[in-house]
Amino acid sequence: MLSANDLVLVGVGLGIKLLLMPAYHSTDFEVHRNWLALTHSLPMRLWYYEARSEWTLDYPPFFAWFEWALSQAARLWDARIVDVNNLGYAAPSCVTFQRLTVIGSELVLLWALQRAVRLAGGSVSARTAAVLGFLSPGLVFVDHVHFQYNGFLLGLLVLSLTLAMEGRDLLSGAVFAVLLCFKHIFMYIAPAYFVYLLRHYCAVYRPRRRLDVGASAARLMALAVAVVLVFGVALGPFVALGQAPQLLARLFPFKRGLCHAYWAPNAWALYSLADRVLIVIARLRGTHYAASAAAAATRGLIGDSAFAVLPAVPPLATLVATLAAQLPAIALLVLRPCSPVRFVQAVVLCAYASFLFGWHVHEKAVLLILVPLGLLLVTGPPTRRVLRMFAVAAVSGYYSLLPLLFGAQELPIKATVLLIWVLCALVLLKSTGSGTSAWQCLSALERAYIVGHVPLFVLTELAPASLFASLPFLPLAMVSTYTALGLLYSWAGLIFEYLC
Amino acid sequence: MAPKTRAQTRLKAATKATASTAFTVPVNSWFRFLENQSAQEIALPVSLLFAILVRWCISLHGYSGMGNPPMFGDYEAQRHWMEITTHLPPSKWYFYDLKYWGLDYPPLTAFQSWACGYIANLINPAWVALGRSHGIETHASKLFMRATVLVLDLAIYVPAVVLFFRLKLVSASWAARQASIFTVLLQPCLLLIDHGHFQYNSVMLGFLVWAVYFAAREHYVAMAIAFCCALMFKQMALYYAPAIFFFLLAKCFQRRHGFVLFVKLGLAVIATFSVMLLPWIQSRAQLEQILVRVFPVARGLYEDKVANVWCAVNVAVKLRSIFETKDLLRLATAATSLAFAPSCIHLFIVVRRYAGKQPGEMRANVLRLLNYSLVNSSLAFFLFSFQVHEKSILLPLAPALLLINDESWAVNWFVQVALFSMYPLLFKDGLNVPYAVLAVGWSVLRSCPVCPADKQTPRIVFVLQWLTTLAMVALHAAHAFVLPPKSLPDIYVVLNVVFSCVMFVMFLVYFNYRQFTLLSRLSKENAQLGKQKSE
Repeated sequence: MLSANDLVLVGVGLGIKLLLMPAYHSTDFEVHRNWLALTHSLPMRLWYYEARSEWTLDYPPFFAWFEWALSQAARLWDARIVDVNNLGYAAPSCVTFQRLTVIGSELVLLWALQRAVRLAGGSVSARTAAVLGFLSPGLVFVDHVHFQYNGFLLGLLVLSLTLAMEGRDLLSGAVFAVLLCFKHIFMYIAPAYFVYLLRHYCAVYRPRRRLDVGASAARLMALAVAVVLVFGVALGPFVALGQAPQLLARLFPFKRGLCHAYWAPNAWALYSLADRVLIVIARLRGTHYAASAAAAATRGLIGDSAFAVLPAVPPLATLVATLAAQLPAIALLVLRPCSPVRFVQAVVLCAYASFLFGWHVHEKAVLLILVPLGLLLVTGPPTRRVLRMFAVAAVSGYYSLLPLLFGAQELPIKATVLLIWVLCALVLLKSTGSGTSAWQCLSALERAYIVGHVPLFVLTELAPASLFASLPFLPLAMVSTYTALGLLYSWAGLIFEYLC
Repeated sequence: MAPKTRAQTRLKAATKATASTAFTVPVNSWFRFLENQSAQEIALPVSLLFAILVRWCISLHGYSGMGNPPMFGDYEAQRHWMEITTHLPPSKWYFYDLKYWGLDYPPLTAFQSWACGYIANLINPAWVALGRSHGIETHASKLFMRATVLVLDLAIYVPAVVLFFRLKLVSASWAARQASIFTVLLQPCLLLIDHGHFQYNSVMLGFLVWAVYFAAREHYVAMAIAFCCALMFKQMALYYAPAIFFFLLAKCFQRRHGFVLFVKLGLAVIATFSVMLLPWIQSRAQLEQILVRVFPVARGLYEDKVANVWCAVNVAVKLRSIFETKDLLRLATAATSLAFAPSCIHLFIVVRRYAGKQPGEMRANVLRLLNYSLVNSSLAFFLFSFQVHEKSILLPLAPALLLINDESWAVNWFVQVALFSMYPLLFKDGLNVPYAVLAVGWSVLRSCPVCPADKQTPRIVFVLQWLTTLAMVALHAAHAFVLPPKSLPDIYVVLNVVFSCVMFVMFLVYFNYRQFTLLSRLSKENAQLGKQKSE
């Protein structure tokens, strides 16, 4: 159970989130306002066809229903919010309303973490990890400033994982199916769910490890029914209207490029960097390279990334790479005795794989790694290595979100929020046994890497823009490569810890 | 604090531990938690970062006169002074276009405006272009203005507060010290006025805290210089002058080489004033003009609605139609002098004669007396003097907060009421959300009638605090949901003024009582402690 003091800390966080309401919000704010408007004013059959705004509905149906439910309150709050033709409406009343929906829906995460803490016996370390997880700077940046509903969605994920740890596998699977119908990006971790539910829930053994075929088949049926039921409720009405192709086209827009607007700190960021370095080398040595690609590389725009020296990366290659990278996660569930904690570990590794090697990965998807990883700290004090990897991953992962908030106004906010969280996490998170803090566990190299974010910040955020006049993409490239190193390192460390 | 009080707190802690794990003030719980987790090293950095974060978050919201031409508000006034000081010679500063926010603060404010304007001119000359920048409210210029307040706050007020509470005289334990620093740095009234409404009070109050800090370190010349800086930044620092004056005078009489100190102090004051007035010192007309600008007697007994005695009495008796301005000035001056005299005379007599058994104990108690007297003198000015602004309640709050270790519940309550007294102003600036967040935050983290932190809080105080909290909530609810009757459009503001004024008078009486009884109280506690020890 969270104590009164934990709730006070959550309340302090709430105060900051309320104060942040007038801060910068991205176009995602208008995306969600438009969805409020279109779900409220149009009949369901037109939701996935409406295109007055460029921000068309491209989330699965449960999210559309979520917006529909919010729009009922929005109409009472300020009817202009739900007008489809009122494009770009962002009056203070509208901002307040939408900000409040983010703050309110995020309580799902608090509730889920509270369940996890109760399961862990309410120890100080579990409560500390839970509060740090809830007050994650990633959620502050992405949800409460940039504007999205990750707290709510990740809350459902944590709920599902906690249900699995409580031993309620079927419910866990059903909640995950619901989550997929809210936002399909969570498909990235579906392989872990698939293997875990098959092994841990469906497979029933008789004594002497012989499979009980009948009982197993019954469980498989139960799981199938649950999943089909959820998907049926979500997609059924649209399929019945013959909108399946339209829905697919909206949910999976394959026109987007390999790297998102700003490079997510993953393997492809390092690949891009390698390409850039090779261009320089080619220039020096006078060898041939695709000059047009080097010049026109759409750094900073949504679109295809072009490479000058290295071969282009087709979507299929990223798919193969992602699946290959997910092998350790699957191996963890197949080769080892299957337990709920293993499952959460596999989910983390799965999320890592798709983040590091996926096609058109958003930098925000790093939350999909960090939140389940934080949940692992709630379930019990981590080993020294896990704690070290968590520290490296959290600092680099949260730091990689800073370019999202690019305005000068947000500079003090992102710096202080991140620093406060990192200071608290490094000192208050303790390893199992000896109870040494995360900072004490870190090796000299890891400490240097973490502290290295400070000069990186000075160089990329505080230095005058004229410094990078000829290379405008350089600050972003520096951030994504530096943080990609930390994420790759922590991924490798976790694989080593879990599998070896 | 003296060793004796340290023993006392140890005793208190022991009784508390046996009593129960009662819910204590959350701020204290946080620092006790850090102590238990052996995470002391992050306490101060986290407090400071959090203080910056909250200040900057408040600054995202509205400010005085935002989008309200032709005159705008305090924000434009400050920006306009940057404009004129950057582009005009000092001889014109106090004469230029007086109808449009003519400069009416003493020279140090003018110098601060000049420095900020100089930097603004380097970044973007349009922000302070003479005559053409009136009412400029671009996003970037607003960020610059907000940043200047934050930087000056961090440069002057914050270090003074941190150093003050790190004195062994002031904070008995590590947790108490950290909790005090956190609390004082996040005091909502100052944050909302400086970083919301827009002013630079933290500079003036910072100089005051520096003065008190130097008093604690027994650097009296530095104390006098710091106070002169406060005075030369905002003339409102005069509210403290009686206490500071009698304190230093007593020090001159107390010491063996008192006369030397007296001369030193006199020279320091004259030198500070001369340096500050250097650009104008040759011209009598210039100096007179500064005086006229800084003390605008003609502006009347009070402006707007302020929770002081004159404005509250005015509800029943229309003073301004009965008396002439000149008579009102005399009346106000007499009343103010009567109100601050007891406290200051007591301070003078006690500091002159007092010699504790241990030097540490004496210094701690003299410091307390000084703070009590600063509160009493400035509160007397706020309640009774001429031309008071609602924001001036910040002046008594600053020294009161320095007493937070001794007067926990009273100071918490005082801040709560002071914040409430400013809400009509804050709502006008569009600061409803920060006001609500900070008011609730303060109530939960500090004053919290739900969790009477220290068991010393008398039952009557507990009940009264609940009642006043309910009254304030009720008035807010009425303001939000019930339209005032047509015959009394200002009813909520007037009720606020009367309520706050009554509370402030009670605080004045209480803090005077506490000042007069400080020494007898301490000796009684000492005796009790001795008895317990012998038992």
